[in-house]
Amino acid sequence: MIAVHVACSLLSYVAFLVAFVSGWLFLIQERQVRRKTLGALFHRLPSLATLDRLNFRSLGFGFALLSLGLLFGFVGMRVSFGRWWMPDPKLAVAVAVWCAYLLLWMVRLRSALRGRRVAILSILGFSLLLLTWWHTSYLLRSAHPYL
Amino acid sequence: MHILLVGLSYKSAPVELRERLAFQRGQLEDVFARLRHDVGLEEAAVLSTCNRVEIYGRASQLDGSVARLQQFFSRHGGVEESRLSPALYSCAQPQSVRHLFAVASGLESMVLGEAEIQQQVKLAYEHARLYGATGKVFNALFQRALNAAKAVRTHTGIGRGAVSVGTVAVELAGKIFDPLSRAVVVLVGAGKIGELTLRRLADRGVRDVRVVNRSLERAVDVASIYAARPVAYEQLGEQLLEADIVLTSTGAPGFILTRQQVEAAMRARHHRPLCLVDVGVPRNVEPSAGALENVYRFDIDDLQGVVAHAHQERQQAVAQSRRIIDEKVDRFLAWWRSECQGPSVESPAGESADQPPAGQDSTVETQQPTLR
Repeated sequence: MIAVHVACSLLSYVAFLVAFVSGWLFLIQERQVRRKTLGALFHRLPSLATLDRLNFRSLGFGFALLSLGLLFGFVGMRVSFGRWWMPDPKLAVAVAVWCAYLLLWMVRLRSALRGRRVAILSILGFSLLLLTWWHTSYLLRSAHPYL
Repeated sequence: MHILLVGLSYKSAPVELRERLAFQRGQLEDVFARLRHDVGLEEAAVLSTCNRVEIYGRASQLDGSVARLQQFFSRHGGVEESRLSPALYSCAQPQSVRHLFAVASGLESMVLGEAEIQQQVKLAYEHARLYGATGKVFNALFQRALNAAKAVRTHTGIGRGAVSVGTVAVELAGKIFDPLSRAVVVLVGAGKIGELTLRRLADRGVRDVRVVNRSLERAVDVASIYAARPVAYEQLGEQLLEADIVLTSTGAPGFILTRQQVEAAMRARHHRPLCLVDVGVPRNVEPSAGALENVYRFDIDDLQGVVAHAHQERQQAVAQSRRIIDEKVDRFLAWWRSECQGPSVESPAGESADQPPAGQDSTVETQQPTLR
């Protein structure tokens, strides 16, 4: 149970990292296109459509894996400690991150936002994720000593 | 032994003359036979493109070979020699060799550094070889010319960048949509540049094309060329919802697409990316529409700016290209001297043809000494 929880959670971070990188590349390539800079970078980077697609898919995979990871985490907690929730900052952050990515995923799925804005949000999402994990791991005491 | 060149190009002759002198593929067998028997060439190759018609030949003596080649051109095109001779240029090695290497590399092309010429030189060589017109010297000459062209393209920026408005538009669109061939293209208007850009897109495999025009009759005409769908002008708004790329090329005095229209369309399209290529003068699309999210707008100045930049970069690569060519030509001539020019073969002046006296280029005839 815990192994699945850990695997899903780690893989979801990898997917969000891919969304983060593709988001950056999207912003760089869009700048090249808007500025009509047909240099080496323009030719080497993939098209905006490809980067947007990669961003969309990695957000989707990431969100699905994160959901599974959380689900297994909660079930594991219930089995081990007999309760569904613990007053732990890391747990709160995990749920907050899940909510943030849910919102991002819904927005993208409904095509209310596309391209540049989703790229920026996926960069912000991953940055926030890193920041909060670092914050809760090193600055606050947690019963959950891993990522 | 001499390597001769007689020909004409866009620099020396108008298209009316060039097209009369052009050689068709079906004529080549007979042409090579006549070049051997009537002109006395031991090896020959014919380079015939829309921008140049050139005959390269190897002759053991210079006595009148060039004059006979000029007569050959005159008879072939049915053009009087007096009218033809101002347009023809002629020379012998080393200029003829250098010229071939430069032509193959795209340095003599109308669009500097264009790549197609390399293929055309290759084809000229293959045809000559097919009809048994080449031997040891011309095999080496053409193979080395093509090799030099490859080196120039690899090591310099002579072929880099898009050098036409259409190509730039296609390159930009290709970095927005992927695959570009599945993009829906709507051409509005029937301007020349718009059509040329559409042709470039069609070359890249775009299949779903719609042509919108105030005159449906004109739309039908243009649409028939590109297997496109003609659409009445009143349906432009609907097309805006389906299109990926909108090419506007009308002479309309005001904007045919305003920011407001594009904004409304983007909402209805769920912000799917839209590329607006506005090659109309005056501009057909309100410039501020380009600031909208997921809208990519390029006008004629944007595209021409990229073209000018590419031209400039290619121009800067000319000197480096010439250095590579000079080196390759020198190597070829050194090989030629050592392999093919025995001490018995001498130019009329008693000197090797590729070693002109100091301060004087090796030339064929005093009347037409240098390449024009």
